[in-house]
Amino acid sequence: MRYAYFPGCSLGATASDYDLSLRAVCRALDIELVEVRDWVCCGASSAHATSHLLSIAMPVLSLSHAEADGFERLIAPCLACLSRFKAANREMQEDPTVREKIHRAFDYQYRATVKVYHPLEVMMEEGMVGKIRSRVRKKLSGLKVACYYGCVLTRPPKVAQFDICEDPQSMDSVIRALGGESLDWSYKTECCGVSMTLTRSDIVLKLSSDILRAAKELGADAIAVCCPLCQANLDSRQIQIEEKYGVHYGIPIIYFTQLMGLAFGAFPRELGLEKLITSPRTALEVCGLM
Amino acid sequence: MELTERSGRLPRRLQRITGENVMLCYQCRKCTLGCPSAYAMRLKPHELMRALQLGLEDQVLWSGTMWICLSCETCNTRCPQDINIVSLIDGLRTYYFDWEYYNPVRELPMMHRLFLKLVRRFGRVYELGLVLILNLKMLNPLKDIDLALPMFLRGKLKLFPHRSEGVKELRTVMSRLEAMEDER
Repeated sequence: MRYAYFPGCSLGATASDYDLSLRAVCRALDIELVEVRDWVCCGASSAHATSHLLSIAMPVLSLSHAEADGFERLIAPCLACLSRFKAANREMQEDPTVREKIHRAFDYQYRATVKVYHPLEVMMEEGMVGKIRSRVRKKLSGLKVACYYGCVLTRPPKVAQFDICEDPQSMDSVIRALGGESLDWSYKTECCGVSMTLTRSDIVLKLSSDILRAAKELGADAIAVCCPLCQANLDSRQIQIEEKYGVHYGIPIIYFTQLMGLAFGAFPRELGLEKLITSPRTALEVCGLM
Repeated sequence: MELTERSGRLPRRLQRITGENVMLCYQCRKCTLGCPSAYAMRLKPHELMRALQLGLEDQVLWSGTMWICLSCETCNTRCPQDINIVSLIDGLRTYYFDWEYYNPVRELPMMHRLFLKLVRRFGRVYELGLVLILNLKMLNPLKDIDLALPMFLRGKLKLFPHRSEGVKELRTVMSRLEAMEDER
């Protein structure tokens, strides 16, 4: 299957490991990724705080490139991009006033025919879990994983239209297909606070600390994530959190694609595992994965 | 439902901008109970809704609640009246964007303005530039300096911006949208 690929700004820099591992996993599963031509930033949380039309126009620009190049499906691995894209598509389909204004601003008339997917949505397509299971060479036996989905993968359900809103299961079923143990917990969709990471870090530290504490109490070896922004908060800021709250967590925050790649037999370096700030070595060595 | 003359200026203005009707709120507090940043708000989400219904513009502004919201969509998902609270808050942010004197958390609109300025320049986010300039503007130049080295050593911090070829088109679209918004 061929998909347009919108990496988003994070995957070029702070989340280059997510990019590496996603590409490796897609190769292994015969999913072809073609980067969207001349894509631009989705506008994330800044565009919708300043102008509603701009928050639609920025995703539409990249989506229209994918549409003009003949793609019907697009993968966006970052939750901020994903939710902006889904919201833009929905408004373009349902709100004639917005559509008319956006069409006036663009030379190309976007028809909202490009369906937007998160990598997890692709993994949940029919027959994919079986395919994942068949590619596993090294099982994640004994690895206890807390799956953390982040805020807007399933919210709001009207726009996201994926998984069970308050208790998602998709990443858990991927981890189970890899032979790992996925833990049940109540912080799956709690917000990590990323939209204030540069301004009010105090809020971010509290929210991320709550998530880490819950995972620690659960006895998790690692937290699996599916968004570069959650990863950056929980991983890079873990030292600051430990310092502020006087506790030691040491929980590695691993992209679910990195875990998939490991189980498929890829080398840790191919998946960017050495780029994680909280080292996953101890957790993965116990299960013989590293 | 269209709001009438009796419901006051602020609720009607918000309905015009966002299409949402604040009068539908009956104070069940589900929004506040699920809100991850409610603890940091002077007016909790349900109190903000009440203040909006009553047209208490000053309190809405001074509380800064509209800027403390993380847009995590929990309240939207759970509201029994199906009010799009995030969209209401975005409407407030857009409308009061430049009212800096009344804003207790000025760094947020400052961040959004800078973010979009850099995106307009390069087409993509220039993370290091954004952090450095913002820290200077917040008079806290060494904020998060402890994160810089570990990230840089792992190749996660790019020193120079990446320019997208799509930036010219983006600038054209942004200028056209601004012209359209000025028309109104």
